[in-house]
Amino acid sequence: MSVHALHKIQAAHEAAPRLEVVPNLVRELGGITHLLTCGSVDDGKSTLIGRLLWDASDLYEDQRETVRKSGRKAAGTDLPDFSMLLDGLVAEREQGITIDIAWKYFDTPTRRFVIIDSPGHEQYTRNMASGASHADVAIVLVDARGGVKKQTKRHAAILDLVGVKHVILAVNKMDLVGWSEDVFRKIEADFRTLCWKFNFWDATAIPLSAVFGDNVTAPSSNMSWYAGPTLIQHLEKTPSRVSEAGSVFRFPVQAVLRDGRDFRGLAGTVTSGSVKVGDVVVDALSNASGKVVRIATMDGDLQRASAGQAVALQLDVDVDVSRGAVLSTREMCPVAAQTLEARFVWLSEDPFSPTAGYLLRTSTDLVPISNIEIKGLLDLETMASRAARNCGVNDIAIAKISLGRAAAIDVFAETPETGTLLLVDSITGATIAGGVATSVTAKAEEPAEGHFVLKRDVLANGLNRDLSMSPKDRQEFMRRANEVAIILRAAGVAVAIEPPPPVDDGMDPGL
Amino acid sequence: MTATPSHLDLLEAESIHIFREAAAQFRKPVMLYSIGKDSTVLLHLARKAFFPQAVPFPLLHVDTTWKFRDMIAFRDRMARELGLDLIVYTNHDGIARGINPIDHAPSIHTDVLKTQALKQALDKYGFDAAFGGARRDEEASRAKERVFSFRAPGHRWDPRKQRPEMWHLLNGRLGTGETVRVFPMSNWTEKDVWRYILREKLEVVPLYFAAERPTIVRNGQILMQDDERLQPRDGEKVEMRKIRFRTLGDYPLTAAVESDAETIEAVVAETLNAQTSERQGRLIDHDQAGAMEKKKQEGYF
Repeated sequence: MSVHALHKIQAAHEAAPRLEVVPNLVRELGGITHLLTCGSVDDGKSTLIGRLLWDASDLYEDQRETVRKSGRKAAGTDLPDFSMLLDGLVAEREQGITIDIAWKYFDTPTRRFVIIDSPGHEQYTRNMASGASHADVAIVLVDARGGVKKQTKRHAAILDLVGVKHVILAVNKMDLVGWSEDVFRKIEADFRTLCWKFNFWDATAIPLSAVFGDNVTAPSSNMSWYAGPTLIQHLEKTPSRVSEAGSVFRFPVQAVLRDGRDFRGLAGTVTSGSVKVGDVVVDALSNASGKVVRIATMDGDLQRASAGQAVALQLDVDVDVSRGAVLSTREMCPVAAQTLEARFVWLSEDPFSPTAGYLLRTSTDLVPISNIEIKGLLDLETMASRAARNCGVNDIAIAKISLGRAAAIDVFAETPETGTLLLVDSITGATIAGGVATSVTAKAEEPAEGHFVLKRDVLANGLNRDLSMSPKDRQEFMRRANEVAIILRAAGVAVAIEPPPPVDDGMDPGL
Repeated sequence: MTATPSHLDLLEAESIHIFREAAAQFRKPVMLYSIGKDSTVLLHLARKAFFPQAVPFPLLHVDTTWKFRDMIAFRDRMARELGLDLIVYTNHDGIARGINPIDHAPSIHTDVLKTQALKQALDKYGFDAAFGGARRDEEASRAKERVFSFRAPGHRWDPRKQRPEMWHLLNGRLGTGETVRVFPMSNWTEKDVWRYILREKLEVVPLYFAAERPTIVRNGQILMQDDERLQPRDGEKVEMRKIRFRTLGDYPLTAAVESDAETIEAVVAETLNAQTSERQGRLIDHDQAGAMEKKKQEGYF
């Protein structure tokens, strides 16, 4: 290590930055970012989270003191062992909870960060999928000496499956490869290639050292060749899912509220789009509609409610709409689905049983399943499916479901907030699997033909021919495709968007 | 809410969503009300969740008979002013056995007069869901708690039976004999609670504000002599000190801090700049960490 580096480490160690006295007491932070960390202990995950907490957060002094006093050093250095800040969580791992996710909170001057920590050891698929379903952004950690591995591919596939759009590849332990740009560029290129397969909007690789703090919160003087953002800079810029919710209005009704007089309000949270007083809203299940006359909250009525806001809508007519309905506009409504296909992460230790009597949980509805078949299993490394009739814990199953009655469901790729599902055991109530709808049909029997597929090459040669392969343009590609699908569906055409093909990324399949 | 919702707006909306999901899915819910600042926020969120309807479930206060007098007065006034359905439950059997926090280890007192009392109350009224103000940031063991935390028959917490929670989908279907604890404030931090109290102008128990109060220093902790049941031991004396409390519970088990923060603004400023986490003021936790474990191993229970 250079003298220069030692110097910097010394300085960082002595002057751990702390938040200043807050001038404005009701300091409300500009938003919440849920951050998933994926990687194994060997990749330095605990050290990286610990370093983030140490350098960037409003950690209490007693917690800092514990680390200083312990005398524990990061392996091979004279620096405090920052992974200690995660110790409490690690110890709790022994409780044997079926699905382990630990939540940790910290504030920077502008944002709240929620660290969702799921164990990276074996059998991690369901843990990670469960944690990732809450994440706005994921940090995928790799050791600079090992680069992109088989596990990295699986991580990316799980993130994509549950709808994470922002991914950071943290290339850790750059100190152990002599801060080499060549090493980093090679890993970055592998990562780029890997990400072509998925629907990420933003995939960024950052070279760093969690132990020494390079590019975590402070730019690295050891890697002057790197001009990109530090990890914390990049995280602070990353939008949350709710702020990126689409423009299509969805309002799953949770309950009906009455004040004992003339108020009858539909209580719920706007999950995407927005609604304003005067809008006509529709329940796709009953086809009932009404005009919004009041958007009520205890803090006063609103003129408009947007994604993320919990309100009560009063309509001009007394329609028979209750829990389970999803309000929308008439032009772009969810499907009153009788049959659907979905990808499920199998969470339960109990394998699939066609006679178990599952229920399907949608946004706010719970519907009996009249028939469920497993069509195949998804291979997370190749993204190819193979035929299967059964599945078990940690599998990604492709299932075809017929419902006992219609439920309002969206295709996840287009309107993710109302395209998520749970399989529930009707006897024990247990959550068996979590999944995303890939196609939904109002008809009782899905037609074998007549399912119109929006092909990627057709879209690329026509509608999207002005777009490049940049992350921004790829996001735009999907946005346009989704809009076309929504319009076609509104016109009564059963439609699906062709999924991204498995790309020959030139990587050694044995990696 | 402004154009860009702040983190408090988002937390509030999430809590309202959780309240509504639970109220819609469970047959007979109740809200645990402990009178402290977290309960004050929880109650406010419940009122928002069902506005303009009244809160559609009762509040339950498990009274150990050792709460600060100010807390009880505050509780009764709030119930009256807000028109709440308040149930107060005490484990009279435990009181009759002479269990108290001065002569017994805090863990025993807590187990009998709080934990057992709560189970008795839930069983007596047949509640299938209980809202609580617990937060994941309180301590490491809470960091993995679910929003819907399921209890097997007999209120047993079985780690293998805890359900994974994905996206915003909260599965509240109960198996036979199961009940659930619901934590709408899971993702709040201590600082958020105070910021929110200030923002929403919520009234809290006066004990959170500094005032001259009669105190006894015991084991390095400042206790308040709230009534004659707490008496100085040899070498101790009752002295007036300007103190306040960061957390409220049974008065002989709750340590005060010396402070000049007499207003909500001063308390919030002190909390936001605090260098120690709030649990340091709870004697009960210190006792439980090691001692309780040891007693269990010794087969004490």
